[in-house]
Amino acid sequence: MGRGRGPLAVALVLAILGFLVVVQARSQAQDQGLAQLSVQDLTELVANVTARNNQLRAEVATLAQQQAQVQSAVQHGDTSSSQMRSDLDHILAWSGVLGVTGQGVQITVNGALPPQAVDQMINELRNAGAEAIAVNSVRIVPGAVIGGQAGSLTVEGRPIIGTTNTIVLVAIGQPETLAGSLSRAGGLVAQLASQYPSVTVRVDSEDLVQVPPTDRSLTPVLGRPRL
Amino acid sequence: MTAIASRIRAIPSWQVTLCFALLALGFLIAAQMAAEGPRVQYTSQERTPLVGTVLDLQKQQDQLKQQVLDARAAIAQLEATGQGGAAVTKQLSDQLQAAQIAAGLVPMTGPGLVIQLKDSTVPVPADGNAQDYLVSGSDVLTVVNQLWAAGAEGVAINGERVVVSTAVVDIGGSVVVNGAYVAAPYQITAIGPKPLFDTLTHQPEFADFIRSRGEAFGIDVQYATPDTVDLPAYAGSMNLRYGRTTPSVSPASSAAP
Repeated sequence: MGRGRGPLAVALVLAILGFLVVVQARSQAQDQGLAQLSVQDLTELVANVTARNNQLRAEVATLAQQQAQVQSAVQHGDTSSSQMRSDLDHILAWSGVLGVTGQGVQITVNGALPPQAVDQMINELRNAGAEAIAVNSVRIVPGAVIGGQAGSLTVEGRPIIGTTNTIVLVAIGQPETLAGSLSRAGGLVAQLASQYPSVTVRVDSEDLVQVPPTDRSLTPVLGRPRL
Repeated sequence: MTAIASRIRAIPSWQVTLCFALLALGFLIAAQMAAEGPRVQYTSQERTPLVGTVLDLQKQQDQLKQQVLDARAAIAQLEATGQGGAAVTKQLSDQLQAAQIAAGLVPMTGPGLVIQLKDSTVPVPADGNAQDYLVSGSDVLTVVNQLWAAGAEGVAINGERVVVSTAVVDIGGSVVVNGAYVAAPYQITAIGPKPLFDTLTHQPEFADFIRSRGEAFGIDVQYATPDTVDLPAYAGSMNLRYGRTTPSVSPASSAAP
């Protein structure tokens, strides 16, 4: 090996060494959490990620269709205002600025539950695909937090429970899926019944529920769009 | 002896370096093979392909999210092109942009706070439950809710924007946010007013969380207050298959800047 090729070989070996160290460190960090999971948990995780991927594929297809419509409108000199109005209404309804009605569930809780238990119900409904949720007629949007103490809950800092100690959650979505996610054996309703024996939770599928718009401003004051 | 020493000194320095580098390389390969051994031994036959499936699906998800963001950007660009100077369309375009910002569909930057939650390093007692020493989805959800209560106006968890449909789910020892697997440590980023940290840490509910999870089980909670923090855009679907809009307020009243 010539004198000039020696350092080159060293550099090459060191580069491979560095690359291997980084690859190994990265893959171990990523796999570490997964390696701890049981087969059952991994199967559930695969189902969750697959469901999200399917939703994303549907969203990509919808957006492609929308893009083609806007493209066509622009080419024909249309201002595409009807498409924009439709997009606007959709985003406003989804985000909570507009009220929404439709099929869903009504959950009636009698008794004193702590705010964390109500948060768990909201989280469970979202995970089951709820499209809009309200607690005692207050739309749940980012920033609308359930607070207070068991028996004197608040949303957005305002009391939501009167003397009847009743909490009513309504959620729009596929009724059987929403009801099933809460009422399944070992599900949240069963867990709450075991933790709070004096509390009763009733889940009813409904053909029509109404979720009002939020009265909270969702417009950021401090944050700026990052371009 | 002198002859050996002089022969050693005669070896070029690059050869010595190469020798050590190859030794390290060999050690690294051996260590990796040794580390693989017990995993193969203790894992069931189903688990290894499942881990690979999760990683593949997650990779697909990242690509799909990018496609969603690209398509939304392309549509916004087209709609801007098609405005044609019409005042009504310009107004609609502005309202649409404001609604997207309010809904979390646009990446944001601003003052704020980053909270990191890490699994406990405290040894689990013989009669203890190992799950108590890991950060759970419930811990992440508690911190997110406490940030909202402290005045945060936008939150993200490990690069997943928290929006109106966001669920934080526990699966075994892992956390799924917006249907995406997020690995520990969990970085919860929030945009909010300057005293966000003080407000948060003075809330009784947050103090309870620190006591019940940090002090009792050693869950590591760390804070950083950089000048600005960045939140990604939500790159998921906005399902309204079962719900219909009931317009009852002016769109501009809540979403327009």
